[in-house]
Amino acid sequence: MNRILASAFALALSAGTFQVHAVQAQTLTAVLNADMRSSNPGVNRDDNTDTVVLHIVEGLVGYDEGGSVGPLLAEKVDLSQDGKTYTFTLRKGVKFHNGAELTSADVLWSWTRYMDPKTDWRCLGDLDGRNGLKVVSATAPDANTFVMELNAPNALFLDTLARTDCGGTAIIHKDSVKADGSWDKPIGTGPFKLGEWKRGQSIQLLAYEGYVSPKGATRDGMLGSKRPLVKEARFMVIPDAATVKAGLMAGSLDIASVPEIDAAELKAHPKLNVVTGTNPVRHGMIIQTRDPVLKNVKLRQAIAASIDFPELVANVTNNLGQPNNSPIYMTSKYFGEAEKQGFKYDPALAKKLLQEAGYKGEKITILANKRSTAPSFNTAVIAQQMMQAVGINADIEVLEWATQLDRYNKGNYQMEAFSYSGRFDPALGFEQISGPKDKQPRKVWEDPEALALIDKSMVVADVTERQKIFDDLHKRFIEQVPTIFTHNDVDIVAHSKRVSGVKPWMSKLRLWEVGVAN
Amino acid sequence: MLRFALTRILMALPTLLIVAVSVFVLIRLIPGDPAQLMLGDLADPASLADLRGRLGLDKSLPVQFGIWFGNLLHGDLGQSISSQQAVLPLILQRFWISAQIVLVAVLLAVLVAVPAGVIAAWRQNSSLDLGLVGLATLLLSIPTFWLGLLLLLFFGLKLEWLPVVGYVSISEDATRGILYLVMPIMTLFLHEIGVLLRMARASTLEVLRLDYITHARAKGLSEGAVLWRHAFKNAFGPTWTLIGLVLGNLLGGIAVVETVFTIPGLGRLLVDSIFARDYPVIQGCLLFVAFTYVVVNLVIDLCYPIFDPRVTAQ
Repeated sequence: MNRILASAFALALSAGTFQVHAVQAQTLTAVLNADMRSSNPGVNRDDNTDTVVLHIVEGLVGYDEGGSVGPLLAEKVDLSQDGKTYTFTLRKGVKFHNGAELTSADVLWSWTRYMDPKTDWRCLGDLDGRNGLKVVSATAPDANTFVMELNAPNALFLDTLARTDCGGTAIIHKDSVKADGSWDKPIGTGPFKLGEWKRGQSIQLLAYEGYVSPKGATRDGMLGSKRPLVKEARFMVIPDAATVKAGLMAGSLDIASVPEIDAAELKAHPKLNVVTGTNPVRHGMIIQTRDPVLKNVKLRQAIAASIDFPELVANVTNNLGQPNNSPIYMTSKYFGEAEKQGFKYDPALAKKLLQEAGYKGEKITILANKRSTAPSFNTAVIAQQMMQAVGINADIEVLEWATQLDRYNKGNYQMEAFSYSGRFDPALGFEQISGPKDKQPRKVWEDPEALALIDKSMVVADVTERQKIFDDLHKRFIEQVPTIFTHNDVDIVAHSKRVSGVKPWMSKLRLWEVGVAN
Repeated sequence: MLRFALTRILMALPTLLIVAVSVFVLIRLIPGDPAQLMLGDLADPASLADLRGRLGLDKSLPVQFGIWFGNLLHGDLGQSISSQQAVLPLILQRFWISAQIVLVAVLLAVLVAVPAGVIAAWRQNSSLDLGLVGLATLLLSIPTFWLGLLLLLFFGLKLEWLPVVGYVSISEDATRGILYLVMPIMTLFLHEIGVLLRMARASTLEVLRLDYITHARAKGLSEGAVLWRHAFKNAFGPTWTLIGLVLGNLLGGIAVVETVFTIPGLGRLLVDSIFARDYPVIQGCLLFVAFTYVVVNLVIDLCYPIFDPRVTAQ
């Protein structure tokens, strides 16, 4: 009797399991470590939100694989002689998910909505003049043309429109909002439509069969070929890395970003592949240059000289990352020979600089957190040992992330093992860390000459001239040591071997041009 | 009985008020706020001030509390800062998911652990007793997250009997829904067996040493009758109290188990909200947890007379 019951139970379980696998075989299943905040592009958002939403919506321009901006919904973008007027010619035949054809009226409607403060668009302040750049007029002279005029020439205007945190300044259909103007759901032009969103569990994306892909034979960042190759893609919300690992091994999950420590084991698994790529997120340690001890540049130089970067990065990334001390990320087109010249590990020099700085063993506290998505704690621990080895009295204080972020925003720290979110254009990368601390305590570098150079880099469009500016900024940065960048983030994506076309890119999982064999 | 229940509920009101005030104040004493987390490393002062204004965080604490408490009196726990969802329906939806797991796991644990505890006490110092106590101690010592991962590896990865990740509501698909709940329930069930078995054994041992048990045996009653009719009913009181505490505790959050098995329950909602500084959800969850605790223990108290007639609602 017991055997019969056991067999029946096993059979029932097997039947259920088969059903689960059968359903999954028709679906591409990817992982998010937290649910998206909303489906509203560039409004109530975070990185996970951007990742999902950018499968559904598209803007006039987008980033290519190397981080340069190119036309997306636009066929071409023309700039006037005075550098202030941008004319976007729309691609023909593009349709929204509800079947309506894209026209310049939709672009104008979307733009007007973004510029309305009630929308709470994240990037409003970057385009309404508060931070210098202002769009003084936006018009739709014909159904296929959209024109935007700026208050002054600006090299970063298109980059701002393409920013993922701005939701790519997505063009959405007006039926995306309810009659009262509140957000309903995204009706975009992207390769996938939003299906069922089970809060805290999963987000279903359905292939948009009427999708018109931008030109290009291959995928190119947010540009190029963007065909949906599966009928359904599903983002599962799984915060625990161990569960993700088990899900990949069991075949329940197809694609997931995984931590460095799991990469080797997953790569060795017969059913899985692991692919890696560098992204613009910068990891390192920020320094409070107004701190009574750390305001001494020689002491900051001593700290930089005390750190063996290849050793630190190899340990923190499980041998997957490479050192990069520059604020410019390694795969940027502006990362040249000058940017490769970083800090030099030299313990003898570090000790000499400490003497010259008059360092008397004052305690230096490094703030760190234990988020699984950032190498903060490990970086702090290894750096602490290296600093102590040359005689620096380094200490670590571990905080929860929100608390550490609060201390960062208030400038209330000596050092923090910190990560800066990715910025494609180096001017924005420098701007992230630089500015007057009296107005913005979170800024770490306030050299007036550097600030002037950064301002200049935001206006100059010529690539060669910009390169010179960035080279100069990099050199000053290495001399003044307002922050010690250790390396760029490494995207590590594990995927089932039945899935093809997976390529990590700028910390964003892209499910278009990804196929799955049943 | 009704008067007793009403009195207990009225007595709980000051407790809930203290919880409401404490949670409101304490969560705001922790550095960091939702606006900072939403803006991340791009939080320029103007944007921060703007967002704080829109979230109502620029108002003084007494004003914020007044608004929240006023709404609370009307049954409105506010709106989530992160997801923009109404807090009360969100909590109820998540609570139902957690409650399914907890109630089934505790029920199964009671059905197994209480008889086992009584038998262990009855056969004190025998190899059966030692085996059961050893097993209970082992189960109690294993952290739930590790036990969960072990089950996941064995039943999910090795045997491939059960799905490893995800959740399907039973109302949506009963078979798959149950399959997704098996391992979380098993994890809690195994852990709670340890707790309840030890209590059932200890309280039964205490009763078995009393004179009236000797008297019952001297009357010639069978061991079964002695154990069930005389020992068990008197010994069950402490275990019943413990069941109430366990239930109250687990219903308040099984965040670890929910995280391991990707179950979107109340515990995970609370933990995620704390990391996101989603004040309305944190406040709502903790208030709801306190309320649940009070209700569960009230029900436990009201049930005492069923097991032990010496205890009355009066």
